[in-house]
Amino acid sequence: MAKEFPVPPVVFTPSTPTHRRPPPPGAGASPPPAFAPPRPSTSSAANPLPFMSFDVNAAAASSSAPPLYAGPIGVGSGTSFEDEPPLLEELGINTRQIWRKTISILHPLRSADPSLHADADLSGPFLFLLSFGLFQLLAGKFHFGIVLGWVTVASLFLYFVFSMLSGGRRGDLDLYRCVSLVGYCMLPMVIFSAVSLFLPRGGGLMFGVGMGFVLWSTRVCTRLLAELASSGDEHRGLIAYACWLVYMLFSLLLRAGSRRWAGTPFDTFQQNTPIPRCNHD
Amino acid sequence: MYDGYGNPPGMRMPPPNPHPGQFGIAFNGPSSGLIRTGLEAYGGRFLDSSSEFMQSNINRYFSNPQYYFHVNDQYVRNKLKIILFPFFHRGHWTRISEPVGGRLSYKPPIYDINAPDLYIPFMAFGSFIILAGFTLGFMGKFTPEAINLHFTRALIGWALQLVILKGLLYSMGGGEVPLLDLVAYGGYLFAGLSLAVVARLIWAYSYYIVMPWMSLCMGVFLVRTMKRVLFTEMRSSERHSSRQHYFLLFMAIAQFPLFFWLGSIGA
Repeated sequence: MAKEFPVPPVVFTPSTPTHRRPPPPGAGASPPPAFAPPRPSTSSAANPLPFMSFDVNAAAASSSAPPLYAGPIGVGSGTSFEDEPPLLEELGINTRQIWRKTISILHPLRSADPSLHADADLSGPFLFLLSFGLFQLLAGKFHFGIVLGWVTVASLFLYFVFSMLSGGRRGDLDLYRCVSLVGYCMLPMVIFSAVSLFLPRGGGLMFGVGMGFVLWSTRVCTRLLAELASSGDEHRGLIAYACWLVYMLFSLLLRAGSRRWAGTPFDTFQQNTPIPRCNHD
Repeated sequence: MYDGYGNPPGMRMPPPNPHPGQFGIAFNGPSSGLIRTGLEAYGGRFLDSSSEFMQSNINRYFSNPQYYFHVNDQYVRNKLKIILFPFFHRGHWTRISEPVGGRLSYKPPIYDINAPDLYIPFMAFGSFIILAGFTLGFMGKFTPEAINLHFTRALIGWALQLVILKGLLYSMGGGEVPLLDLVAYGGYLFAGLSLAVVARLIWAYSYYIVMPWMSLCMGVFLVRTMKRVLFTEMRSSERHSSRQHYFLLFMAIAQFPLFFWLGSIGA
């Protein structure tokens, strides 16, 4: 039989400070009074502790958490904070340029403007790869690392083939620009990954639509490579095949699913091959 | 000997733009400024002498890779016809050589249909990987790890082919053939293999017809090519020895298990 323990009723009164926390071990470096429970439940702005130099209003707003990292923010950098350039500019992400480049690739029949892509950047491709991964995630497949790895290998492959094919007159295509190009031309594949969420899995329709998007990617990529490298005109067919291989690889990833692709001649192969059955005795 | 296009081996000159193909990435890439300023701290001569050293030594083991990519559309089409149907090639199989700067070198592939190239092997390798992915997808077993497995398998197959060719040459005593030539000859197998996999995708039972046919074609192609290579390399008197013929036969027969192993996708 369970023993009966007299449990005192728990009463929350407004006068009881509810933010009492034990000091974490090894907290010698942080200012010790941070863990004194704030006696006045009103804002502690009325009770500024003289040796804490951080912004006291911030401490009032988050009075429950020990302000471990709030220290250095307000100290000493207040004067030059407004003079710093905006974050995106500092990182080199030119959103207007990214938008322009994206729009120029989007039109499937009009050819892209190669002068826009003369200055390469990796932030646009990174956004595209992330959204590709997100659409895959919506379909239940977690392929972020695989996509990043394959893009790297594919652009190395393209760079190698392209630089060898065009001999010494490589123009001004270097590896950075190649990765940027491959990444930007992934835009049709990103659109396909969004579209494929609504198509019936594994059917012929998806195959046909997929081929259309792959050809779109290939066309844009070949045109940009040939223009930017300024010497690729005589090898267009050869370069186009290499680009086609790269984008077919990504479309394979898209079409993979747990269910078998139905309605192919391979069904007969599966059925006619004798599979050894074990006897249940 | 093989300097049809690009820097002649053994010629020590400081590169005006340090470019030897893929080895120049470190000097031309986005971080080139960093590397250059770092090396400049040690004096300009360090940069020059080290890249010179690398150039002259790399050329001893690898001939200039750009020679193998000097191709065009027409060459690719005709070479594919030779690889896939070597019986119908009416012409001769010798490579055209020309004297360049006092040394004898072979003409680049764009002028000579019998010259080996590296474009077709690389593209055929890629096509094989894609087709393997397709086949796996149709069987319902596609995962990215399976693609990696087939990639590794194909690389091992290529290396095996290279070992067979190199072994053949080594046993015959002719060691002058550059490594990239053998890499090219070995890589042509992926063209036939890809065609066989395509045939299997179209009709399941064609596998049993097309695969042996492709192995046979590859065997014949390799035998004819290596015979020519041995003929030009061997300067001794044992030209038509039976040992040579047995080795060539072994090489042709070894194609069959290799093709069947690589073609067993999804097993």
